[in-house]
Amino acid sequence: MWNKCMKALLYFFLILLAAMCLFPFLMMMVNATRSGAEIVTGFTLIPSTHTADNWHTVFEYFNLFVGMRNSILVAIPATLLSAYFSSMTAYGLAFYKFKGNKVIFMAILIFMMIPGQLSLIGFYQLCSKLHLINSYIPLIIPAIAAPGTVFFLRQYILSSLSPSLVEAARIDGASELYTFHRLVIPIISPAVATMGIMGFIGNWNNYLLPMILINKNEKMTLPVMMATLRSSTDINANQGAIYLAVAISIIPILVVFCFFSKYIISSVSAGAVKE
Amino acid sequence: MKAKKLIATLLASTMVLSLAACGSGEGAGTSNAGSTESGKADATNEGAAATSDETLVIWTLADDLKDFAERYTEQTGVKTEVVVIAPEDYPTKVQTAIVGGETEPDVIVGEPQMLGDMFSYGAFANLDDFGAQDYADQIVDYVWEVGKDEEGIQRAISYQITPAGIYYRRDIAQEVFGTEDPEEIGKLFADYPTILETAETLKAAGYRIFASDSEINYFSGDSAWVIDGKLNVDQGRLDYMDLVVELYQRDLTAYAAQWATPWYQAMAGEVPILSAELQWGNWDDADGDGNPDLNIWDADNFNENVANFSDEMTEVFAFGLPAWGVLTMRDHVGDTSGKWGVCPGPAYGFGGGTFLGISSQSKRQDMAWDFIKFVTLNEETADWWIEFSEGDTVSLKSVLEKHKDDTNPVYGDQKMYAMWLELAEGIDYSKVTQYDKAIGDAWGQAISSIKTGEMSKEDAINTFYDTVQSTYPDLIIER
Repeated sequence: MWNKCMKALLYFFLILLAAMCLFPFLMMMVNATRSGAEIVTGFTLIPSTHTADNWHTVFEYFNLFVGMRNSILVAIPATLLSAYFSSMTAYGLAFYKFKGNKVIFMAILIFMMIPGQLSLIGFYQLCSKLHLINSYIPLIIPAIAAPGTVFFLRQYILSSLSPSLVEAARIDGASELYTFHRLVIPIISPAVATMGIMGFIGNWNNYLLPMILINKNEKMTLPVMMATLRSSTDINANQGAIYLAVAISIIPILVVFCFFSKYIISSVSAGAVKE
Repeated sequence: MKAKKLIATLLASTMVLSLAACGSGEGAGTSNAGSTESGKADATNEGAAATSDETLVIWTLADDLKDFAERYTEQTGVKTEVVVIAPEDYPTKVQTAIVGGETEPDVIVGEPQMLGDMFSYGAFANLDDFGAQDYADQIVDYVWEVGKDEEGIQRAISYQITPAGIYYRRDIAQEVFGTEDPEEIGKLFADYPTILETAETLKAAGYRIFASDSEINYFSGDSAWVIDGKLNVDQGRLDYMDLVVELYQRDLTAYAAQWATPWYQAMAGEVPILSAELQWGNWDDADGDGNPDLNIWDADNFNENVANFSDEMTEVFAFGLPAWGVLTMRDHVGDTSGKWGVCPGPAYGFGGGTFLGISSQSKRQDMAWDFIKFVTLNEETADWWIEFSEGDTVSLKSVLEKHKDDTNPVYGDQKMYAMWLELAEGIDYSKVTQYDKAIGDAWGQAISSIKTGEMSKEDAINTFYDTVQSTYPDLIIER
């Protein structure tokens, strides 16, 4: 009885929590159907009739689908590269004993603490000299070096990957790269998926660097395009359009989350080694 | 030994992979370059004139330049590309690009409070080299001055003037003061003591002079904040502080916050008077309906609940806004349309405005200058803009002259342009410094902590000095 009560209470709180998390999304959807004037005068959960107007406003400023394509062109390669190279680095740091291992790991820890925005002008000059302004390369390639991801994956590998598994592979004559690809990656895939989702969301929402480095309207990524809606001369006019654009722009994030979250839950390493 | 081999393989494979990635990236880069080249070739094939195979690139933070650029392309055939950047990020973007040597933007813009910084890192080319001074008499003086850097070199020009005026209700003026003539009403706002008197008279008649106590802000810059590197707090500033405190403490305003729901509502007629404590809303939830008891930023909630807090309704007499307020007011006055008038405030002042200049890194400066001339110095464009924007105020004197008899029905058929020109001519730009925004904000902070009784006057002013000192360590401050 007591247990049941506890359970009911727990479920009640969890449902409450879920509702609280979903509420902003609902509000965003509702606001996407309202005009700017309606939004500044107050909030309600009853949808209004201005979706089409908002849609037109958005497309007057930019083509949402071009922005989405541009963001995908940046976010997907950046995420894949970051996931692959981070797991490789993490595996190397966790499983190979060589001189300087500790030093490299410390260096990674230190770099985690330096915000990337520090040297904007220098970075701009570098890109400008390399003729990489208006290109997606400076947005994608630096994603390979992701100290935070490496740190996280290293900890995960140390805790979940048993050395005997790798040894077994070596005894059977697998090459190191083969071991990494066929053994290590499947085992750490939950962690890689977690970091991949985080990385994708981060790259998708990345604003500062694309804002600085992309000067062509048709090459801007989605967040940069959406920010231009705020430059309307009438402060309130575009509020509805902004909500609509945001509502549409989170769709890919939801898709990615749905697709990858099952990897977070399932872990293949369960029961792989008898202790 | 084996480990070393492994590491070597690992490193090598990493290198090969990253090279491959770079390689493919480069491939994409070259194909891009190829396509732009072929694009250029197409343009030349069309046999266009030397200028038109190039696109003039304009970076801006407000969308109105898009309309100008469209018209420019229509009339001259020169292709334009307007890149609109979110206002809050615009300064960062332009500074990074220009300091980084970016040659892409040809025309860049700035608002008055950004111009000081932009001049100091050399964002703008020297317009005097293009003969800008030939046009000096055609533009309203203060706008011309704002566009000059410290050495007096012309760097930017605006197509707008933004002098501040008092927008007042003609019907209330007639009832309380027996006249609605802008000149007579202007006398009621002549100086701070008179404003207090006017406010008391209006309160006695059941009205309130202002919706918020920030309405005089645009007129408070009667002296420079900084003179020769020294912070200057003159008597006028202290008088302004006293005025705001008095307006607040003697219940002379409707206690609205500028740009909040009740503030906009006051433009259209009756608003409830909120007690001083309630001006930022009552966030308690005594009735337990999950909503705050009174949310001033939420019209539905506000209208529903305000009766619980205020049984007194009033109408507001006046608003203090720059010339672009004509458009803001027009969109919000509702039924009081036609009952408004505009008169001068206690001093001259201005707020905002978009200034155009040529990027110092641009390789097409002559084209850029042609565009700037088209936007700011072309009478025909200015004529079109007045009509297109439905009442914005341009900076060309000749066009303001020409439109001086235009009447605006929202403002009781007042001749607006003559008035704005007169107000703009009174602005003394030598009093404007690059420190104004930060110091002005700090001063406003001091005033609001005095009026709410949070700090004594002395403490608030000392805090103000501390804030300014830490923001600008180089300024000399005499307390």
